[in-house]
Formats: sequence, C-alpha cells, structure tokens
Amino acid sequence: MPIIEVKDLAKKYPLPDKKSEFFYAVDGISLSIEAGEIFGILGPNGAGKTTTLEMLEGLNDIDGGTAFIDGIDVAADPYSVKEIIGVQLQANEYFDNVSLSELLTLFAALYAREVDTNELLGKVNLLDKAQAKPDNLSGGQKQRFSIACALVNTPKVLFLDEPTTGLDPQAKHNLWDLVRELNNAGMTIVLTTHNMEEAESLCERIAIMDHGKLIAEDTPQNLILKHAPNPPQAPLHGNIEDVFLALTGHGLRD
Amino acid sequence: MPTKLQLHLAKVFLKIFLRDRQSIFFSLFFPIIFMTVFAFANNGEVDPIELGIVNNSPSAVANDFSQMLMDNPLFEVTLGEGEQLRTELVEGNQTMVLILPEGFDAGSDGAELQLLVDAAQVQQLSLIMPLLEQTLISIEREFRNIEPMFTLTVEDVQARSQRYLDFLLPGLLAFTLMQLSIAGSGFNIVEYRRKGILKRLFVTPIRPRDFIASIVMARMAIVLIQLTVLILVAVLALDVTIVGNFVSFYFIVMLGTFIFLCLGFCLGSVAKTQQAVMAVGNIVIFPQIFLSGVFYPIESMPELIQPIAKILPLSFVSTAMREIANNGASLLSIAPSLLGIALWFVIAFVLATRLFVWKEVAN
Repeated sequence: MPIIEVKDLAKKYPLPDKKSEFFYAVDGISLSIEAGEIFGILGPNGAGKTTTLEMLEGLNDIDGGTAFIDGIDVAADPYSVKEIIGVQLQANEYFDNVSLSELLTLFAALYAREVDTNELLGKVNLLDKAQAKPDNLSGGQKQRFSIACALVNTPKVLFLDEPTTGLDPQAKHNLWDLVRELNNAGMTIVLTTHNMEEAESLCERIAIMDHGKLIAEDTPQNLILKHAPNPPQAPLHGNIEDVFLALTGHGLRD
Repeated sequence: MPTKLQLHLAKVFLKIFLRDRQSIFFSLFFPIIFMTVFAFANNGEVDPIELGIVNNSPSAVANDFSQMLMDNPLFEVTLGEGEQLRTELVEGNQTMVLILPEGFDAGSDGAELQLLVDAAQVQQLSLIMPLLEQTLISIEREFRNIEPMFTLTVEDVQARSQRYLDFLLPGLLAFTLMQLSIAGSGFNIVEYRRKGILKRLFVTPIRPRDFIASIVMARMAIVLIQLTVLILVAVLALDVTIVGNFVSFYFIVMLGTFIFLCLGFCLGSVAKTQQAVMAVGNIVIFPQIFLSGVFYPIESMPELIQPIAKILPLSFVSTAMREIANNGASLLSIAPSLLGIALWFVIAFVLATRLFVWKEVAN
C-alpha cells in the first residue's frame, strides 16, 4: 500500500532576472512510494530533488498538484503530516553549548513528547557522546545525530537529504547500516543522493529527476537493464572504493 | 495563560539559554558601568575646594585662622611655601592660593590678604568667592566676638533625599530591559535563521504562537535575573533607594519584558540579516532612549513631541517603574500607565505572531 502519493506536483519560482516570469523547479511529478520502502531520488544539482522533499515535508508551498502522506493532504494539513514524518536537512547546525541529549529533549518537546535520550543515542551509536556538543562531532557522527533528532517522534516516514555527502567510506557504510536497520523495523525512508553506489545498494526503487521532471523510475536492477550501456569486452572487477576499503579497512573512524 | 506544552518548552529553552552565561553577564557590563558613572558624577555632594595657604605671619591669630579654614569641610587646605603653591596652582592642583601677610595679627587693621587664582577657572570662582568671603567674615566675627544679626536655617521638606541617580535608575532599568529583550529575541532569531536552526524547528509541528510564547517566557526569566543583579548593585553598592513595593515593581518589569521580547520577535521576522536587524533595532531603540523620559522627564521636552513621546512603550514602562520606585505609587494610582502597557502588550504579541510566519522566517 503506498504511504506517499504524489500527483502532478509542481513548484514555480520567479526568474532571477525577470520577476514577472516563472520557471518550474518541480514540473509535474507523480510518485507512489510504498510503505516500508527505501526510495531514492537522484538527479544533478538543481534538478528539483530538495524542493520536492521540502514540499512533502511542508516546508515549501505546493504550487500545483497534490501530495498525500499516510492519507493526509500535505497542503491542507501540514501540521498533521509533520507529526508523522522525520526530517534530516542538508544543513544541520544547532544551538551553541547544548549537549546532544539536551537537544533531543528539546526536539521531543517540540512534538510535545518526552523521549529516552539514551535509547535514541544508542540507536545511532552515539551513546558515549550524550554530553558532547554537536560542534565537537565528526561529519558521520553529525549525520547520525541529525537522524536521531528526526526519530524523536518515531516517524512513519523518514526523509534524508543527501545523508552521506561529505562522509568518509567508513562513516558512509555505517550510515547505510543504520538506514537499513530503521527500514527493517518498518520505517519508510525517502532519500536524495548523488552517490550512485548508495542508490544502487541501499534503495529498493529509484527515481531520477532532471530539470524538475521525473525521467526514470524503477528498481536499480531494472534501470540498469533498461538504460546502462553494454559492458566493455574485458571488464574491470571491483572499483576504487573496493580498493580503498580493502586498504583502509571497514573500521569506523571518528 | 501559557499551556503545558509552552511551559515545558520554555523550561527546555531556559536551560539552553542559561548555558550562555558569558553573554548573560557581559550584557550587564555596560548598564553597571553606566550606573556607577552616574552615581559618582552626581553624588550630590560638592567637592571640597582645594585651597593653598601661605602663612607668612608668625602670630597665633594667623595660625588659628588657617586652622579654622582647615576645619571647614568646604575647603581642602594645603599649607605651604609661596613658590611651591603657586606652581601647583598653575598646574591645576590648587583652585586658589591664599597668602596671609606678615603683619596679620589681632591688632592689625585691614590687613590685606592676597588671593591667587587661575583665570581659566573664572566660572568656578564666581561660585567660590562668596563662599570664601562668607567664611572669612564668620571667622572675623568670631575673633572679634561679634554675634551675627541673623542666621539662616535650611530645612529640606522632602522626607527622603532624591539624587539624580534615584531619578535615573528606574528609567535606566527600563531602558536596559528594552535592550536586553530586543537583543534576546530579535537578534537571536536572525542568528537562528542564519544557522538553519529555524528551518529545522519548522520541520517539527510546533506552532508559531507556542514557539514565541515559550521563547518569550524563557528569555523573560533570564532578563529578570539580569535586572535583579542590576537592582542589587544599585541598592547595595550605589545606595539607590527604591521606595515602592517590589512586587508591583517586578510586575511592571515582567510586562515590559514581554512587550519588548515580542517586539524583538517582530524585528527578527522582518529583518533578514544581522546587519538589517541591527539597523531596524536601532530605529526602534534610539528614539525611545531620548523620548521616553529615561534620562530626563518627558515634561521637559518640546510641547510638540510630548504627545508622541508619551505613547511609546518605553515611556509607559519607565514612567510606571519610576512612579513605583521613586514615589512608592501603588498599581492602582498608575492606572493610565498600566493601561498603556496593557495595550502594547496585546499589540506586541499579536504583531509578533502575525509577522512570524514559519515559511518566510525559516527560509
């Protein structure tokens, strides 16, 4: 059963040099995301991935079409949608001088809830950092923490915007494990990425966007069968990432 | 009345704000300096006049005479040699030098006392000369055993002493309250936006009015702590008297803080950058410093400006605080100011919730 249903979704912005004319950052996208799926949205910069997510999250007005999450109309009732989704944004800065567990308490309070901060931090493998400040975390830890923040309301759908950008391979694989774990527990996950390996190995289905339009949508397998060029005569086995990991190991770095 | 959610959130925010102890106490630095300077600049007592005496007469009368001047609290007397005191006068270390001639004695008639002055201080001299002459006359009277024909007794009808600092303090507190509040909400909002924190908060289902109310309550607690420190410094260290009821005084302080925190929210919502919020903030803050009777009474302003000055939020707050602190007014007797404060209370909160639109503020 689809948990997210998007039909002809559109977002228009005035042109930077001609304010009276518009361009469509998202131009009539239709998607149907199943409950329990890991769904990836790919596309070059400016394709409209983040704008699409922001409309689904209630951060941005919907200029055309409809979006339903768990049967709730996002445009009509954004506050109810926010109750059941968790969001990790690209930028993740927090209040100064506040520890991780205090921040989690704050986010829970914003949902009028109370949480067991240790349990949440344990889930994202940051229990030993409970009293640390976000500024003192590494890139991977920061991403895991922002996922912890997105989990305070035990959401049905988790949106991740480029979660592994800027992470080293160890941190990246660790984050993928976390995403799989959450997904195994039944959470629907929608993520955007520039990392093809991430899309291929993590996502059950992929949508590729360009110029605000959806240009392909299917499982990674089917997309490769349909669109990938034939392999060369003597294919290389493995890739540079395999080499990097073989040389530096899978151990997580702080 | 605050809801449970707002109170809970306010408690969490308060804990977060309290972390920033440095800025909480550094923002008190300026008002404390300000108060201290005014306390010492206007401490109500006249500085003693520095008077150098060159006693060239060996007589007992001359000795007694200089002794009497020394005993007079109006003068700070230095005895010395003519040359040395003259140099000190030129350097500005003495206000004047009095030279008693050699023949100064009980029997001498019309002995000429010489007074050396610095013409650069002529203005001061016009004040000092009568004082000096009067002292000389009274000393002469005593020597000649003449009873004065009449004496003048001055009685202060005001039961308590009112220094300028006593007048200034409530206004200064009101002004500080405004600054701390506007900075506490407005400037912070812009900072939160710049860091993307507002956007992150916007992802959660928190409503603007709950967000504003909880931030305002948490900030109010901080501002109350700050003002209490200032009041303690004023009362304990600078000997300022607060006549009125402290509960009423704090009641006004809380209402005022609420108003300016909400106005700060409006600024933070309208201005998009740190520079813009500073500029817009100054437009709100500066006219009120001069027009709201903080440093001198509104009544002493030009007739034309008075009606505008009187309806500024800071005017109502500082007037109410001053009436309570200086004259011990009850809340009932300052009803007009209270009404003004109530109106601004509503205006500020409605404006803040209207202007703070998540979509526009967060992005």
